Amino acid sequence: MLGFSERSVSNILFWVTRKKWLILSFFFSISFFYMPSPDGLHPEGHRTLIIVIVALILIVSESIPLPAVAILILIMEVILGVDTADGVASSFMSDAVFFIMGSLMLAVALVKQGLDKRLALSVINITGNKTWRIVLGFVAISALLSSFIGEHTVGAMMLPVALALIRNAGLGTDKATNLSSVLLFSIAYGCAIGSIGTPSGGGRNVIMIGYLSEFGMGTVSYLEWMKFTYPMLLVEIPIVALVVWYTFTPSQRIMDSSVRKLKVKVAKTGDISANQYMAIFIFLIVFCGWIFLSPVIGLGIVALSGVFLYLSFGLVDWQDINRNTNWGVILLFGAAISLGIQMRETGAALWVAEQTLKYLEFIFQDIAIVRWFVAVVITGLLTNLLSNAATVAVLGPIILDMGGNAILMGIMTSIASAFAYLTVVASPTCMIIHSTGLISSSDYFRAGWKLFVISVLLLLLFSTFYWPLLL
Amino acid sequence: MKILIAISSKEYSGPTLDVGMNIARTLKSSTTIVDVGNKISEFSLKDISMANELMETWDLDRPGVDVLEWAYKYLEKNQFIDSLDNSNDMSKHSLLESGSGRAEILLKGRTIKDLSLILRNGDIIHELRDEVQTFNYDLTIIGGSGQRNMAHDLVQYIDSSIFIVNNFNLNQNYKILLAVDDSPGTKKAIKYGVRVAQAFNNKVEILTISEEKNISDQCVQASNRAEKMLRRSGIDFDKNYKVGEPVKTIIDTAADDHIIIMGASSQSPLAKFFMGSKPLSVMRNCNCPVLIVK
Repeated sequence: MLGFSERSVSNILFWVTRKKWLILSFFFSISFFYMPSPDGLHPEGHRTLIIVIVALILIVSESIPLPAVAILILIMEVILGVDTADGVASSFMSDAVFFIMGSLMLAVALVKQGLDKRLALSVINITGNKTWRIVLGFVAISALLSSFIGEHTVGAMMLPVALALIRNAGLGTDKATNLSSVLLFSIAYGCAIGSIGTPSGGGRNVIMIGYLSEFGMGTVSYLEWMKFTYPMLLVEIPIVALVVWYTFTPSQRIMDSSVRKLKVKVAKTGDISANQYMAIFIFLIVFCGWIFLSPVIGLGIVALSGVFLYLSFGLVDWQDINRNTNWGVILLFGAAISLGIQMRETGAALWVAEQTLKYLEFIFQDIAIVRWFVAVVITGLLTNLLSNAATVAVLGPIILDMGGNAILMGIMTSIASAFAYLTVVASPTCMIIHSTGLISSSDYFRAGWKLFVISVLLLLLFSTFYWPLLL
Repeated sequence: MKILIAISSKEYSGPTLDVGMNIARTLKSSTTIVDVGNKISEFSLKDISMANELMETWDLDRPGVDVLEWAYKYLEKNQFIDSLDNSNDMSKHSLLESGSGRAEILLKGRTIKDLSLILRNGDIIHELRDEVQTFNYDLTIIGGSGQRNMAHDLVQYIDSSIFIVNNFNLNQNYKILLAVDDSPGTKKAIKYGVRVAQAFNNKVEILTISEEKNISDQCVQASNRAEKMLRRSGIDFDKNYKVGEPVKTIIDTAADDHIIIMGASSQSPLAKFFMGSKPLSVMRNCNCPVLIVK
């Protein structure tokens, strides 16, 4: 056949079946390109939307590597004439990308310090050996820590603690028992609710703050953000513990032997070292920098200063940072933010916002409800399919263009993007606990839908009754 | 001869291991057992590798190692392997990374002749295809779960012969249904039939099916060749000719107490992709183990 051997035909077929979404998005973009621009949408905006849809298809399907998606976004922006090469380059790097980069590097530096064993011991010392108290302790510690240092760091540090408890419980790991589900989900969901707490809790919070100042819509300081979000975080801690407990009630109510073995294990590692004190001290400096300096020098620069200190005090090797930092994700978020800025500048975001308002107003009759629906429900659902930072990068400009109080809409969107309870791919921590093989994909929905509904209602309550008091 | 056995979980992989090791023992082949773990999203790849590194410091094994360790113990218990005890060798299980997402497990204090344990993560078809292409396996053995969804991809994209251990009951005595016709794949299928029959010490039923009343000379020749081979190897057999629709006849004859062995289709990959093939239909619809010989 055309001179191809059977082997190469089979290889081509395999490629086509695995890359069907790439091929589909190619044909989609060609046909959409030749369609006339809809009324009210500038041709440049039309072309920006093509890039947005192609990028969304490729990110969700993961049919090509994420850095390749990032590069494709940049190439398309230039080739479709959305902006010049220099314009794309300058929108690609921003303080938000600095922050994501710095936060991923800080994660490596912190994880490398061996603080996980200290953490385990302090949690266990507080909770004792009753299972329900351990679950509550896991939710609380995951939520509180991930509100400052990013959920992926906390997820990676807490996972061995949970697994050590599970494997020493004498159950074997044959089945996805309720005990493993309850402990692992308390980490994943604890991290999810925690990440709303401060701007540094997640890259998406910083992306939103970046959009607000880039578009001249206002500024939010570190402490102001906390005033809006922290009360909701604290209320959610017991709720998550209860939902997880009653969804996966374990038969082991006391984990005596696991707890004892864990204590022995930690005791063997010796006392806390000078390096560990130093690592904690540097993190406190970074934390103070975020609170007091970030309005002047930016959250990203503060995070990078922390990385600089860890590297220059020899607390972490560059090789470790280089190996464990997800450069592909940094590229992707850079490209996604660049795309978000282009959406705003070409008027594409405004057009989508107006269309959404026009059509949804028919259904809901009230523009405030429409805005709330898009910012909370649509963001919440999309975040379960996409990474949460990518969701905010793409939806952010649209929601900010829908009117209303931009700062409140922005914070609401960021909070809703943390409702990543329903799927494995929703957030890095959901993926981390899934990688243990102890949890099936359907378990996410079993507990997740309850939390999703409760979180949406809570956000409604807080934004209606509490936030107006702060303005 | 190289055999690849793909397992997934402890609950369902016992029969797959049993069948695979029986065949491997008869053929004196080197065997690889692979566990393909969940696909990891690229967003979380590094976070998970960091978590795995931390688990090392807790002396916890990486997810998946426990499945392979279980497989090893299962083989040891059922006396499929002679292991050498080198207790002083290593303090714990160790992983030998070999290429992206593939790691070989060295179990603590054990060396096993002709057996490797491999851990992979990702889409199962993609990983098995890569493993088979890179290391040139002759036979891939896989459990029956999800077989109906994966059947097409397995037959289409895995370059080795494929044995699907579907609905296998360890206590049942299976007969072998050797489907022969005039296709080029039949010759190799007969060879495998002889070996599998030796492995399980089973009776073979040679089945030739024709859609018309008259059976072609080539089919009769193929059937005679199978008869000769089996007789020479001292294997008990029956020989039958049937008229009817081949796929349905094979499935009906096999019921749930035969192991079906047949050659792969000789159509071009493109034709198979769009129109399917007989082995594929048999694999999708049968209720018993099936071996497609390539």
